[in-house]
Formats: sequence, C-alpha cells, structure tokens
Amino acid sequence: MKHSTRIVWLLVTGLAVSAAAQEWKTKPPAAADWAALAKLPDLTGVWEAPTVGRGGRGPAAAPPPVPQLTPAYAAKKRELDARNFDDTEAANCLPTGMPAIMGHPYPYEFLMTPGKVTIVTEAYMQVRHIYTDGRPLPADPDPTFNGTSIGRWDGDTLVAETIGFSPLTTIARNTPHSDRMRVTERFRLTAPDTMSIETTVIDPAVLVKPWTTTRTLARHREWTIREYICEENNRNFLDGQGKAGVKLDAPAKKE
Amino acid sequence: MRPIARTAGRALLVTAMMCGVATRAWSHHAAAPVFDMNAEKSVTGVVKQVDWTNPHIWIWLDAPNASGQVETWGFEGMSPNFLARRGWTRTSLLPGMRITVTFRPLRDGKAGGMFMTGKLADGKVLTSTGAE
Repeated sequence: MKHSTRIVWLLVTGLAVSAAAQEWKTKPPAAADWAALAKLPDLTGVWEAPTVGRGGRGPAAAPPPVPQLTPAYAAKKRELDARNFDDTEAANCLPTGMPAIMGHPYPYEFLMTPGKVTIVTEAYMQVRHIYTDGRPLPADPDPTFNGTSIGRWDGDTLVAETIGFSPLTTIARNTPHSDRMRVTERFRLTAPDTMSIETTVIDPAVLVKPWTTTRTLARHREWTIREYICEENNRNFLDGQGKAGVKLDAPAKKE
Repeated sequence: MRPIARTAGRALLVTAMMCGVATRAWSHHAAAPVFDMNAEKSVTGVVKQVDWTNPHIWIWLDAPNASGQVETWGFEGMSPNFLARRGWTRTSLLPGMRITVTFRPLRDGKAGGMFMTGKLADGKVLTSTGAE
C-alpha cells in the first residue's frame, strides 16, 4: 500500500469509527412536538391479550403459523428437542426477551412521548424503548434481550424495527436465532380500544421465509400496571438437566 | 368418519385446545411437567398462610392425613396481578378459614398442586381465574 493511500484509508476508517461511536443527541421537546403527538393514533394505556384462566377452556383459536426452518436450524432444533427439557429458563425467572416478550398473558403499558414510544411489560418488569425521532438503527448494537428498536409512523401504523438480540433469547421453543435476526412490528388500532400487532421475524440463517404472527390486545382504561418481581417467591425451577420442579419447603413465616 | 375416529379426533382437538390454553395463560413456567393436568383432587382443611406474591400466590392449608396427623399442603395459584384484576384481593383467603380446595396434583406425589377452586364455609367459591 502506498503511503498516501494508507493515510486516506486511515482517515476513512477513523471517520467511520467516530460516526459509529457518536451517540444520537435527543433534541429537547418543544411545544410543537407535544402538539404533534396529539395528532397520532393514541396507543397509550394498559393493554392485555384476552385470556382464559389456568386449566380453563377457552374458544379454540387457530394455531399460529410455525416458523419454517433452514436445514441447519431444523437439525439444531431436533437436537434441542431431543434433550427433552421440561421447560425454559423463564421458570428460573429469566425474562424471555424478544420476540416472546410480546406474547405474555400479562398487560403492557404503552407510553408516547416526543420521539419515543415506551412499552412497559408487566411480566418480569421489562421495558422496551422504541425511538421515533428519526435516528437510524445502530450498525452493530450490543446484543440485548429486547434488542435495539426504532420506529416510524406509516399512516395510522407504528412500524418498529428491532435488531441486536442476546443469544439467550430464541425465536420460538428450541429455535435459536442468528445475529441476523430482525423483527418488524406493526402496531395499529383496529377499534377504539383494540390494537393489532403484526410481528414479522426475518433471519436468513434460520428461517426460509419471514415468520409473521398477529396478536390482538384490548385496552383497559380502568387498569394500572402492577409490580412483578419474579424472584419474590419463585418456587418453580428448571435444573441443569432440564428437569422442572416445585420447591415445597416451608413458607417464610409472616409476622 | 367412523365413530372411533371421530372420538379420537375430538379427544385430540380438546387436548390441543387445552394445550393452547395452558400456553397462553402460563407465561412463567409450563404446568404439565410438574402438575398432572388430567387429574383433579380435593382436600378440606384450614388455611395456614397465604403468600400474596409473584410470580404465583401460594395457599398453605393444614389438613389431617389418613393417620389423623395434620399435614401442610401447598397450592400454587396465579399471580396477584392476574387475580387482583379478576375479583380476588389479598384478604380473599385468610388464615383460619376452612376451605375445600380442588387442585391438579403434583406429579411427584407431594402434598400440593395447582389451585383450581376453593370453596369457603359460606359457600363462596374462589377460582383460579376469578372470584364469584
């Protein structure tokens, strides 16, 4: 490499690195930003998927579509299925992460502020941050349970794009994801207190085609979100061999 | 469809429905590996303690066993979050109350299970999905 070429290359690399390292600076919201929010579909409030209780019987729902796996990941799933684990680490209070976090039978609170939609999930007390201020997705975010999200409004639909997931999360049971997983969610009001969330998972290493599922949530204006500390009194466990159990030792004495 | 095939088909459908329900209503852990979801038992006793806690409430019940000795049973219910939105309060069951609990028994045979219903002395019934 010629000396001058090397200098140019170093300069370009240096600029790229500094651009990647540069953090998006949030503008302080002005009155116009708050006013603009009022013109958007109102997703705020506490939402929950209609459920029936444990052991009860509800109306038969169409089974959700199953992710179609590439040969390599189908083999991986067979290998994991063969371990015959009773349950997942959620029994030990490990939060599920994306995309399963949006499938809980517990409420979600949606907050809308200038440049951001925040989803507080009651189960495991998790928070998702969806930035709608025009920032791009980072090129290589640190992997996290809920990933890194940005959002934009496509007419009446909030479209969220999420990348960068921890290897401890899965696409579905015994179905790991690769570092190329990307989740697109379309949040839309279909009635005053009904929201449809269409979720599409793409992962070229794992899925032969995008995997799309839809969930409908109902808004409960009379509800507030509650505390959920999974470690408060968790008697369930999954051991290292994949055996699930329940600890029935004497309860803590109450005063 | 021949009758036997129809019966088998129906049984499969019911099983599929129940599995679907169990998955939806149970985010924290799978019920079937620890509780026998096809069995239902009942026991009558006196409430010893109620843990109104996450991720599940626990109801501890003192009941005499076959040899007349008092045994403490443990029953796992839904979360206080779920129940508080469906008619239960943390004082719906109090120590000293006499109740009959129906439950899905623990697979390991220990004294406990998944709480289904609790019938109080005054006839009031608390269920895993809500209070009457």
